[in-house]
Amino acid sequence: MNQIPPLWLSGLSDTFYKCFIRDNRYQLLLSGILVTIRISLLAAAIGIVLGFLIALCNLSKNKALNRIGKVYTDIIRGTPSVTQLMIIYFVIFAAVPWPKWVIASIAFGINSGAYVSEIIRAGILSVDIGQTEAGRSLGLNSRQTMMSIVVPQALTNIFPALCNEFITLVKETAIVGYVGLMDIQKAGDFIKSATYTAFMPLIGTAVIYFVIIKILTILLGRAENKMRQSAQH
Amino acid sequence: MAMIKVENLHKSFKGNEVLKGINEEINKGEVVVVIGPSGSGKSTFLRCLNLLETPEEGKIFVDGEQINGPGVDVNLIRQKMGMVFQHFNLFPHLTVMDNITLAPVKLKKMTKEQAQEKAVSLLKTVGLADKADAYPAQLSGGQKQRIAIARSLAMEPEIMLFDEPTSALDPEMVGEVLDVMKDLARSGMTMVVVTHEMGFAREVGDRVLFMDGGGILEQGTPDQIFSAPREERTQQFLSKIL
Repeated sequence: MNQIPPLWLSGLSDTFYKCFIRDNRYQLLLSGILVTIRISLLAAAIGIVLGFLIALCNLSKNKALNRIGKVYTDIIRGTPSVTQLMIIYFVIFAAVPWPKWVIASIAFGINSGAYVSEIIRAGILSVDIGQTEAGRSLGLNSRQTMMSIVVPQALTNIFPALCNEFITLVKETAIVGYVGLMDIQKAGDFIKSATYTAFMPLIGTAVIYFVIIKILTILLGRAENKMRQSAQH
Repeated sequence: MAMIKVENLHKSFKGNEVLKGINEEINKGEVVVVIGPSGSGKSTFLRCLNLLETPEEGKIFVDGEQINGPGVDVNLIRQKMGMVFQHFNLFPHLTVMDNITLAPVKLKKMTKEQAQEKAVSLLKTVGLADKADAYPAQLSGGQKQRIAIARSLAMEPEIMLFDEPTSALDPEMVGEVLDVMKDLARSGMTMVVVTHEMGFAREVGDRVLFMDGGGILEQGTPDQIFSAPREERTQQFLSKIL
């Protein structure tokens, strides 16, 4: 084996066939794509809700709420996401009979929430204090002022940063193999082991992620443009 | 009976005492103009009246009810007091119509239809009937401030507070805002106006308060204050500004 050229040079198409077509291996990747997308979407939704709540905790005048927000952000930022995923999966949700992908999504959502909360906090602080004063002086309470005056303006400001966080999240999900889920990364890895080839399955995995992110970037870019247009009267 | 009554009002920021014990009464329908050099505490005094600033000491009564006491619903008090800001603070993400109807509808004071009807008539009053569907960014400064006044009036307040409403405007737009305020004064609204517009003070003010160093140094009718100020500080200030 040591004198012949690497397999990928001698027969790319052979390898391609072996890795993706034979034994319907492409189906592994296709179902992997669905797993990645499902986890990303649910995790993003959880992350945004959680991030918003934590941002409000951090901005609150209540010391106890401040503390909760601070500890949460500290723990999430101070530990690797793989570790968090495994703790949530094997320890906290060990006895909960929910589908694997839902539990994984919760783990990623909790992780993402910490970063989203910082984005939202900065966005809320970026809205001029005069807006809050105008709302309060009309007699709106602080929650009404926040929800109908401050948050809508903050969202326009932070949309690009949120998109960025979502893209990071999609790539972050590539570690779900650690808890036995067959996403894109794990499917590529599985093919690598089954075929004893590294190049084709790994590059294939990279290409699939790249295309997904590219499509996502274009879609989010369009949404952002639309938002800017409607915000810029 | 006094519409607003202030007793021994104190306020400081980070150890710096801005209001040093103010006592004042403002009657229903009265137009009180507050003048004075910057840093004299006039804006802080105004902002204490609707509790945008929380006084450390002293009592504020509106309609005979103490508003800075325990267990008072600040939001209900504020619904009775409109406020107009130097920088307008219109909501940039909402149309003029939505700016005006937001509070009355959210606070269940009116139905959406009633609020819109009210908004249309207020827009007529301030001379901007054609701007209902515009966004704040499409308006000039003077127009923004007139909308801001309409927005406050939509809550049908008993008192209107003005915090340097023309200070951020180009000179040629000051007149249109003052005209709206004059109409409002003539309609019998109780008004407290912090301003540098001495012409306005003279023409529509019932009383002028001159503030300096965190207190009311001198007060009287516009004639008294502008023609025969008693205090030296008042004379100095007026000689610079008139």
